[in-house]
Formats: sequence, C-alpha cells, structure tokens
Amino acid sequence: MLGWIVALVAFVAAIWATVQTDRARKDAYGAAARAELTDRQLKAAEARTLALTEEIRQLGQKRIPAAATALSHRTAPVPGLREAADIEGDAARLLTEAVQAAGTAVLEERRRVDAAARSAMRGTSAKIQSLLNQSQHLLHELQHEYDDPRILQLDFRNELALRRTQATAVLCDAWPGLARQNSSLVEVVLGAQSRVAGYERIKVANHLRQERLALAARAAEPFAIALAELLANATAYSHPDTEVPVTVQQTAGRGALVLVDDAGIGMDDDALKRARALLAGPDEVLLTELGDPPQTGFAVVGRLVARYGFSCHIESSPYGGMRAMLRIPAHLLTVMDDDRTLSVLAPKPMHARPGVPAAAGAGAKVPGDDATVIPTPGRAADPDPAGAGTGSPAAPAAELPSRRRRTRRAPAAPAASREEAEELVARTPEQAGNSWAALQEGTLSGRKAPGGDAPGGGVPTPPAASSDDQGDET
Amino acid sequence: MTPGPGRRLIPAYLVTGGRSAPTGPALDRLAVLIRTDAALPPDTGSEHRRLCELLEPGALTVVECAAHLDLPVSATVFLVTDLVAAGRLHARPPIPSAGELDRSLVERLLVGLRSLH
Repeated sequence: MLGWIVALVAFVAAIWATVQTDRARKDAYGAAARAELTDRQLKAAEARTLALTEEIRQLGQKRIPAAATALSHRTAPVPGLREAADIEGDAARLLTEAVQAAGTAVLEERRRVDAAARSAMRGTSAKIQSLLNQSQHLLHELQHEYDDPRILQLDFRNELALRRTQATAVLCDAWPGLARQNSSLVEVVLGAQSRVAGYERIKVANHLRQERLALAARAAEPFAIALAELLANATAYSHPDTEVPVTVQQTAGRGALVLVDDAGIGMDDDALKRARALLAGPDEVLLTELGDPPQTGFAVVGRLVARYGFSCHIESSPYGGMRAMLRIPAHLLTVMDDDRTLSVLAPKPMHARPGVPAAAGAGAKVPGDDATVIPTPGRAADPDPAGAGTGSPAAPAAELPSRRRRTRRAPAAPAASREEAEELVARTPEQAGNSWAALQEGTLSGRKAPGGDAPGGGVPTPPAASSDDQGDET
Repeated sequence: MTPGPGRRLIPAYLVTGGRSAPTGPALDRLAVLIRTDAALPPDTGSEHRRLCELLEPGALTVVECAAHLDLPVSATVFLVTDLVAAGRLHARPPIPSAGELDRSLVERLLVGLRSLH
C-alpha cells in the first residue's frame, strides 16, 4: 500500500516536475524570443536613426543647396530622399517640408536683396540721368556755336549713355524721367533710332496714312525707350553690313504698328520663350534673373508694356532674323497740333512722296508736291469711318498721278470736281459758246439719228468730242 | 530739334549717318550753295530733298540753310557735301573780305620808291 502511495506521489511529482520543466523551458524560450525581438527592434531603430542622420546630412549638404540653386537655374536637378524606403512617411514629409521652407526663405531673401539693389540703382541712375541731360543741353548749345563735327559725335556718345541709364532706371521701377508733349509718331521712331549704336543701318519707312499721327504725351517717352531697346537688339544681333528696316504703319483698328526686322542670328526656342515671358510684362523682374552680363532689353520693354498699355510681340522675321512688333492702341494715339512743324529729318509718308511720279524736272516738282499733298487729308479721313485695310501703300502711290491726269483730260466727266469748275470759269466766252453749241448739236444729232427709241447710243459720242475739244483748249 | 525745356527728340547727328567727318573738301559756313539742274533720285532722304527745295528759288549760304532746316551748321555740312558729291549742288567758297595791308610790306615799298630818287 505504501509502495503504491509512494509510487503515486512519485508519479505526481514527476508530472509536476515535467510540467515545471516544460514551463521553465517555455519561459526561457519566450525570454529568448523577446530578447531577440528587442535586439532586432534595437537594430532597426539604430538603422533608422542612421538613415535619418544620413537623410539630414543629405538635406543639409545637397538638397537645400540644390533647391536654392534651382530657384535661379530652373533646369538644375534637386535630389530627393536618399533611401526613401527606410524613412517613414512622416519623416519624409517633414524633410521635404524643410526643403520647401528653405526655398521660400531663400526666395524671400533674394527678393529683398533685389529690391534693395534696385532701389540703390534707381537712385544712382536718376542722378546720372539728370547729369547726362544737362550735358546734352550744353552740347546742343555748343553745336549751334561751333562747327566742329566732333561735337556731334560727343552728342551721340552722350545719347548712348543716356539710353543705358534710362533703361536701367526703368528696370528698377523708376519713372522714365522725362515728360513730353504729344509727339509725332515718326519723330519718336527717329528719336529711338538716334539712341542706338549703328543707327545708320536703321531704315525707317513711313507708311502712315495720316502724316501728323502722334503719340499721346504720357506714352511718347516710354515708347521711345522701348523701341530703342528693340532697335538695339536688332542692330547688335545682326551683321554690320545688313540693314534694319523699320516700318511704321496704321492698323485697321485705328491703332498703329511699328515693325523692326533684322537679318540676324535669330533666337532658339528657349530664348524665345524666355523673351516672350519678359515681354508679357510680369509683375516683378529680378535683376538676378537677367544673367551676367544682364540682358536688359526685353525686360525693359516688358516693364514699359505693363505700365503704359502698348504691346510687343516677337517672332521669326522674313528677313532671316527676328521681327519685333510694337502695337500702339488707339487710345494712345492722337494728332499733332497744327502749329507744330515736323522735323526736317522725318521721312515723308510713302504715298505722299513726290519722288516716284514727279520725275519730270526741277520746275515741275514743287507744284507736283502740292498736288500730292492735297489728297492726303482726303485719304486720311476716308479710312477712319470705314476702318480700311492697312497694307496698301502702293495703291495710293499709283493712284495719285492718274488722278491729276484725269483733271486735265476729262473735265466734262459727270463727276466734275470743284477744281474743274474753277478751270471752266477761266474760259473765254467764245470758247464757252463753242462748247455749248457743240453740246446742243450733239444732242440734236443724237435725237435725230436712230429715231426716238435709242438715244443712249447717240448721246455719249458728241460730249466725248466736245470734251476732246476742251481738252485741247485747257 | 526744339531747344528749351525737355529733351530734344531728334538729335542733329542723325544726318551724319554715323560718319565722323563730312566727305569731300571742308566747307565754310559762309560758302554759297547753288542748285544744279540734276534731278533728285526718288529715294532721296527728306532732309536732302528739303535742302534742295530751299535752294530752288536761289542761292543761300550754308549757315542760312542750317537756320532754315533748324540744324546746326556742322550737321548741315554733311548734307551739303553729300549733295555736292552727287552733283545736285554747287558750293562756292565765300569771297574773303579785304584784309588790312601788311604794314612792313608798305614800308619796304616806300623805302624802295625813295631809293629810286
């Protein structure tokens, strides 16, 4: 019995011991697993920290500088995260935000520095501009006092310097620094021409219908500055042997258009895109964006376009280089006062030029000139209500001489003008009697000839004869 | 070319066409200009044409032409030399005004005349 009990106890003890051992083993196993897990987590955390450190190093050494560079050089690559997989979403987002914040800060700082630079240059250029204006005035007086042609050259150099200074001032948001009266459009174009190195290559063709078309006072000087910049581009980027044709014409919408063509090297697509962005008149142009040396031309035009309401467009020119178009809207145009005379240098409109038809001789030139000037107001008044097409400068040139001949040959034409009536007055009574008699005879013979039915066939002939008669007399 | 307040719009040097000195012989500001019979070609510039028209009724001096054209004399000389070179104008140098006689010459003449006795 005791043996049984002992055996049972031993058995129970054995089971308990087994269970205990098992539990202990399980515990130990669990502890080992936990330890391993902790270890692994530790390693992962360490790796993450390392990766994060590397990312921060990357951020400081590469990403932020690259982002700052990319603000001025749009094509520069900005590196991203080094090992995107190792960084959790939150950290990656924060890092990217850090890059963005740095970019914004750089941009703001740059804008501030640029504004400071502009204001400093604005002050300086205003001072230089006023000094150059004074020396221009002195040179002007000297020119009239002394006959040395070197004063003219000096004046030109002064004008070039003045243009540079003025352009810089405009770029720095300054007022163009000069008030003008309403100024003839052609004179403004010539004024812009005179401000450019190589101005002798610029050929201005005047296709205006209205000779005294003028720019409103507030737009005159800004327009001259803008056009001078475009002309400077055209002469600088084309061969010195080529001409730079400038065409001044009126558009159908009562505006005007100035075209500048050059046979230069043209522009590639990138440059063209950049130039068009500048010409569109952006709100702010940073000096630091204009390159080194700064290319100010289009930026200056863009500033003026945005402020004064004319517009500029560039495209490839049929001459091989670029064509720049400055469009002046109708509200900036006016007509010059009659008491102001145009400069001698201003080219005459093509259609009023006496050269082509009046090559008869020296004596016939002056009246020829008068005769061609008379139709000008008529032509100018004509298209205003109609808003006729622009590009027909050849038509009036061909029409003018024929009009003069018509007054001589056919004074008895049905649409007789006042001038012809005046010519008729100058006739002697005998001549008048003859012509009336001829007319009467003609009418009578016409009525007699084919009977009453067809007077139309007979009537026109005798007046034609009588008109020949008068044509000989006059 | 209107002096006075504000900046002039068209400077006189525009007529030089980028040249530093006029072509041909130097012209005095009192040189007399006469129009020839040669007709102007149709592509003549408006300033050349205007100058020829000024001379149509008769002769004028360079400085008078300059005043009519509202240009300085130095710039007008460029126009004139161009037209003279093209045969459209004659330029005649001014007749020099009678200067004072050289006193020493007269004295020597006097001495010579006296020595004849």
